Amino acid sequence: MSEIISQSALRALAAEWIAGGKSVAGPARVKPDLVLYRALRSGDDLLLEGFQRPSNSIKEFLFPKAEKLYGYKIHGNSIELIENDSPEPAQVIIAARPCDAAALPILDHVFNWDFHDEFYDRRRAATTVVTLACSAHDENCFCTSVELDPGSERGSDAILFELGEGQYELRCATEKGRALFDGKTEKSERTGKAIPGPEKKFDAQAVRAFVTTHFEDPFWKEHALTCIGCGTCAFSCPACHCFDIVDAGPAAGNARVKTWDSCQFSTFTAHASGHNPRPVQPARQRQRILHKFAIYPEKFGEILCTGCGNCTRNCPVGLGVLSVASEINHG
Amino acid sequence: MSKAQEFEPKIVAYVCNWCTYLGADLAGTARLEYPPNVRIIRLPCTGRIDFNLIIKALEVGADGVLVSGCHPGDCHYTAGNYHARRRWILFRELLDTLGVDLRRIEFSWISAAEGRKWQQVVTEFTDQTRELGPYKELYATGLFPDVPAPETASPEAKSFAAESELREVCHKLLAEGTVKVVIGYGARGPVVVTRPEDAERLVWNNRCFSNLTAYLKRKEIKALGKAAVIVKPCDEKSLVELEKEAQFERKDAHVVGMACEGVGQPKCAHCIARMPRFADVTLGVAAGPEPQSSASPDRFAALMAMPPAERMAFWTEEFNRCVKCYACRQVCPMCYCERCIVDKNRPIAIDPAPSTKGNFAWQIARAFHLAGRCVGCGECSRACPAGIDLALLNISLHIAAQRNFGYEAGADPKAEPVIGAYTLQDREEFIL
Amino acid sequence: MDNVYKPDLMEVTRVRQETPDVKSVSVRFLDSERARNFSFRVGQFGIFSAFGYGESTFNICSSSNWKDHIEFCFRKVGRVTEALWKIEEKDVVGFRGPYGNGYPMEAWKGRDLIFLGGGIAMPPIRCAVWYALENRADYGEITVVYGARTVADLVFLDELDEWSKSERVRIIRCVDPGGETPDWKGEIGFVPHVFERAQVAANDPVVLVIGPPIMIKNTLPILDKMGVKPASVYTSIENRMKCGIGKCGRCNVGPIYVCKEGPVLTMEQLQGLPADY
Repeated sequence: MSEIISQSALRALAAEWIAGGKSVAGPARVKPDLVLYRALRSGDDLLLEGFQRPSNSIKEFLFPKAEKLYGYKIHGNSIELIENDSPEPAQVIIAARPCDAAALPILDHVFNWDFHDEFYDRRRAATTVVTLACSAHDENCFCTSVELDPGSERGSDAILFELGEGQYELRCATEKGRALFDGKTEKSERTGKAIPGPEKKFDAQAVRAFVTTHFEDPFWKEHALTCIGCGTCAFSCPACHCFDIVDAGPAAGNARVKTWDSCQFSTFTAHASGHNPRPVQPARQRQRILHKFAIYPEKFGEILCTGCGNCTRNCPVGLGVLSVASEINHG
Repeated sequence: MSKAQEFEPKIVAYVCNWCTYLGADLAGTARLEYPPNVRIIRLPCTGRIDFNLIIKALEVGADGVLVSGCHPGDCHYTAGNYHARRRWILFRELLDTLGVDLRRIEFSWISAAEGRKWQQVVTEFTDQTRELGPYKELYATGLFPDVPAPETASPEAKSFAAESELREVCHKLLAEGTVKVVIGYGARGPVVVTRPEDAERLVWNNRCFSNLTAYLKRKEIKALGKAAVIVKPCDEKSLVELEKEAQFERKDAHVVGMACEGVGQPKCAHCIARMPRFADVTLGVAAGPEPQSSASPDRFAALMAMPPAERMAFWTEEFNRCVKCYACRQVCPMCYCERCIVDKNRPIAIDPAPSTKGNFAWQIARAFHLAGRCVGCGECSRACPAGIDLALLNISLHIAAQRNFGYEAGADPKAEPVIGAYTLQDREEFIL
Repeated sequence: MDNVYKPDLMEVTRVRQETPDVKSVSVRFLDSERARNFSFRVGQFGIFSAFGYGESTFNICSSSNWKDHIEFCFRKVGRVTEALWKIEEKDVVGFRGPYGNGYPMEAWKGRDLIFLGGGIAMPPIRCAVWYALENRADYGEITVVYGARTVADLVFLDELDEWSKSERVRIIRCVDPGGETPDWKGEIGFVPHVFERAQVAANDPVVLVIGPPIMIKNTLPILDKMGVKPASVYTSIENRMKCGIGKCGRCNVGPIYVCKEGPVLTMEQLQGLPADY
């Protein structure tokens, strides 16, 4: 016995959630050739087919690109700190890809490493993730190279499998998922399954071995010469989480703000003294691969990558993890 | 409404020290009354006034901004106000494109002897701003107007005829030591080739998007030695501007120009330059339909046909998606500052956070820093992961440079650049 | 919400100018309960902030035995330190901490201690010296070799004088050749050379060496000749930080997050790390 739901019912549900005061995010067509996850304005806004995956990730709904940590008021000598302690509104992310959902349990580690980042934790607790298993993959996908697959339920509260003709099988993985869909589905005999994943494109263990033993290898210089040092890869990535804390003073509203940052920026590690441990782009590219395939696994037992391919798809010059890792393995 | 509840506008006035400030002072000593709404910020010269300051005043709550300085010809620093005037002409066009209410920004020439003019200008501007009411529409959203999006073709990958000749030429350049490195296109994107045998990796096809001149400024590339750079005719225009700004010397690079059949980008529909003009070696034969004129694309006309509030709403929606990845800056050949203004922190001129304010400040800074310099290669738009219509912003200033100064970036190596030059006849009908 | 990024508010109780561009500042918690419950280990650092300008990372350079205040010492070199330069008594700054791993003072008990420091590296040494002197019986011979480019760049000079009054303490001050003043009574030379000349008797000491990379590089062979193993040589490394709590991904040197598994490392650990600092 399975549970099924139609596309129109899903849209109606989304509209219901929006009307009920929940934040609902999902894929939407932003431009003729651009699909992004964003806050949905209506049930019809939700895009369920006709694209590989959105160009961004769902991390922005749990780890926003700009987050006010606290405000402050300066009264002469004294300072008043102003915190926003209001509860997080309930949030639903609908039609996330497995490679987006799987990043959440991976990110849980770093945001709770000894110190608990409650900004992230509270949003995580208030969010229900409904994943849509993939029905296709393209040449930039490589989830299977990082121990994932197109039907993975990791990080999802519920997962939808396409049955065709606008129907989906729904499987609830957690209480949150069940609570969301309680009474909203129909019983059926039909079951869906995920497509087989792409062929493995590289060996993650071999990449880890290379990157830990070839720190000074000329490979980095040769490969990274064309990297232009923007933040597109890091910001499109479901797992990248590096951030900055800025205090831009009165003109910016007297607040400390946590913002996304990227290890590819030239001033990421620049010291005030002028010294920069990573003064050239090859060193910065090396850091990205090291962090994802060696450092994070060493600390938390997980690769900091879900193989979504966004970095390679979005990179203005065609680099990205897939490109680098493939070269390490086969080049 | 009681007097205490009536709206009183906040006016910020950026004035030059030598003329308008003294003129305001004169108004004071002459006991000429004018509304107290104005806060004066004194700068040495109008030439010092960064456009960013005008926007900042509106951002922090001003309802009107007045900018005033010496009459042309009277500048204490000889030409500061001529430079300012030129910038103001362009900046107003940018603000208009963004849908900012231009009635809230006033420019004037007021001399040290014109106390009465100061009184008059401030009084009228304050009254006018009071009528308009508080400026609440800045960065307001809620409308979702339809601006036609750029059209990108996604044709099947197709090699161009000159590809094998290109490989031969580059092989020879490297083998003979004419250059140490070739910056070209590869299967997935740009490649940097240092060994003659690797010239085989070079491709020339309808997916050669990047403007490779952007690599000439990268220190990792410079360290390799003299470079050959492959350019499409549109990219070549960047070299013209870079040379004008002393960032590029012809003798320091070998330019391999490729006749182009188009790469399916929006810019290709308006391309008028199918053949390179300044290359050291030109390969290929231009094919495809007759070039059209580079008349302003309809999309810009469609945007400007909307009321300002809709334009503002459009741009707020666009910029709200910005994540400050700076891909637009990094792909641009003209963005070569060693330390970008947005990375400077003493003071923080542009809020680095990807908030609405921070994003507007960045987008305005980027667009305006490219006024008269952007050659329309379109890479910024293509690179933006959030699909922000950067081309439209760049087009607006491109057209402003054409209309006001007859200047087309990248066309004539001998034409004086727009920003940095001025004429005594630059228009000033908008200046009181 | 338990906001790990929210700073404690600290009142400035004393500001001292040490050199033309270095100041040391004493601060105390405005919240008395927090003051009562607060403790740290010498070698740990804090993230201090000037509201309106930003945060900056400094070692807590006071002894952990001093309960009523903590101290930090900084060079005026950027946005935040320029703002901190202007603070006076009664001003309020922010503090997050204590972060990092601190010196293993417990493990160092019973050992002779040798402290080698250059320039602005004295503050992270100072806290350990005070701690050791305050627990004098726990530690053996104490030797301090401290140098800077010029006399004007030396910090905490008056405290060095005080330390030399204690038992079994040897203090050697030096300046780089050319940095001496006519009335300079200390040594002249770079710290590694002065240390070598001093012929300090080595009886399985613990060595804490902090300073510019070139100074450390030149000190190691001398220690090696003395028979001191890299596992007994400690340093405190610095790196650019933002969160201080292992989340922002900025301060790692290879697999080590300086804010969590550092900043105190042995030479053995440091030599096993890639050149990422």
